[in-house]
Amino acid sequence: MKKILLTLCVVTLSLSANTKNDNTVLLKSLMKEVKTLKQEVVSLKKSKTQYNQSIDDIYENIDRVEAEGFQNKINFGLGFKTNLDNFTKTYADGHKVFNNNIWSNKLMLNMKANITDNMNFYGRLSMYKYWGSSYIHPYTYYDNMQGRVPSDSSLYVERAYINWFLFKDSLLPIAFTIGRQPSSDGPSNQFKDNTKRKGTYSALLYDGAADGIVFTANISKLIKLPKSYLRFGYAKGFGYSQTIPNVSNAFIGASNNDIKDTNIAGFFLDTTVPNVQNSFIQVSYSKMLDIVANPLDKNSSQNKNIGDVDLYGAMVQFTNINNTHLDLFAQYGYSHAKPNKNSYIDNGVNYGGLLGDTSDTTTKDGHSFWLGSRYGFGKKQKYKFGLEYNQGSKNWINLTQGSFDIYNKLATRGNAIETYMMYVINRYANLRIGYVNIDYKYTRSGWFVGKSRKISNSMDNAQNIVDNLKSVYLKMSVHF
Amino acid sequence: MFHNEISKLVALCVLSITTCMYAGNLSLSPQQITKRLHLIPASKAIIQWERVFKSKQKLKKYKINTLNKEQKVQLKEYLLNHAIDSDQPTVAGV
Repeated sequence: MKKILLTLCVVTLSLSANTKNDNTVLLKSLMKEVKTLKQEVVSLKKSKTQYNQSIDDIYENIDRVEAEGFQNKINFGLGFKTNLDNFTKTYADGHKVFNNNIWSNKLMLNMKANITDNMNFYGRLSMYKYWGSSYIHPYTYYDNMQGRVPSDSSLYVERAYINWFLFKDSLLPIAFTIGRQPSSDGPSNQFKDNTKRKGTYSALLYDGAADGIVFTANISKLIKLPKSYLRFGYAKGFGYSQTIPNVSNAFIGASNNDIKDTNIAGFFLDTTVPNVQNSFIQVSYSKMLDIVANPLDKNSSQNKNIGDVDLYGAMVQFTNINNTHLDLFAQYGYSHAKPNKNSYIDNGVNYGGLLGDTSDTTTKDGHSFWLGSRYGFGKKQKYKFGLEYNQGSKNWINLTQGSFDIYNKLATRGNAIETYMMYVINRYANLRIGYVNIDYKYTRSGWFVGKSRKISNSMDNAQNIVDNLKSVYLKMSVHF
Repeated sequence: MFHNEISKLVALCVLSITTCMYAGNLSLSPQQITKRLHLIPASKAIIQWERVFKSKQKLKKYKINTLNKEQKVQLKEYLLNHAIDSDQPTVAGV
């Protein structure tokens, strides 16, 4: 027993000596590690200071870029078109006139400014001219055709309006659009232009510039259909101006007892087909009061208000149906004209009243439809083939006098077919070759004044009445 | 024997649900994918989104790499079409 106790004591003492040695080694190692860590902390502190400086620098740079961004209050976008048109006109008496190699350019400087979260501004300055010509087209003086028909190289304000949004997050957000409206290049012209929708109203009914105010109620949440809007719009069709001695140039408004301004008001409903993506429906009714016979004629003894017109419209449009790259649209328009007894007499020549002869007060109903399709094919749908057809009746009348195509195809009283092939150069540019054939059945397409007559080779003045128009065109468009 | 049938039925149900979920995931619209991945199309310009789709790191960062090829193509098209500098409709009050 004693032996055992003695042995244990010896072992314990020797272990204790070993532990002391180990602790010294461990302590040394720990001291070394602490030293290293201290060095690393110093180094990290240094790095942190450097990082903070870098972040400060980045913030400064972001502030500078942001400040520059804020300084650019208006963003500009580019729209540019070059057109080559070749026309063949066949007159009622059978003779033909060729207008080939007609080149034109249209420049559109599109502007946008986000003023606040609830207000933005859009504008468009346009120049549209034939190559080598600075002839100021008389129609340029028609307010709704400024910048819309080829003229000289002047820049016209085609659009300039403020969108003012209210109750944005409510069940019924509303907006007011005040100024020169986006009333041109509307649906379904965007297929031909290969752009997004660029106008508010059906292009079969309206195409041109217009000054007015539009109230828009976003009813999407209310009726649970996306992109549903109810609009009420008011615009001036023609504002009569008269030169008065000593009162500068003109005044606008119900200016005298003889001629009133043309006022337009209408309701428009935009919506979509339930559960059909990329669909669009528009239904509308509008009224044009006191149509002015000739907005260019300031002589109130011969120029008159000739009556009122009601315009009804319905359209449906499908884009990229079920990812097949097929687009389809169908539009219908109905016009109801109510002439008064007035007629337009210029230099002794009586041109008649609203869609009729002098003193003809019978109402005139007209209608038109427009059908179209476009199909994209090839790698990334670089190629698009389009086909359109429209037909208008004897008394069809609309407000497309400011349409981009110089023959105002959608006002045709007769039928028109257009086919085109497009090559998409890149995201922003395309090249389009096309063919248009317009077969006029009745005279005075697109004109408010005068009776529409059936076109025949035995009619009066047959040598001056265009019976058929063919156009082969090549167009290049850039939207950036 | 009875337990065997029950297990087969359960397995079939699980398989069906998985297939449905997978099919559901496939049929997600680009808009839904954008929401799911917390992407904001208008936060970048077209060229910046194009850069994202060219960089493996950025695809990983935005978790776009988890999508299949078809979804990636559709998402890219959607993001480019809704980028801040993309062509947008011009309509009164919208």
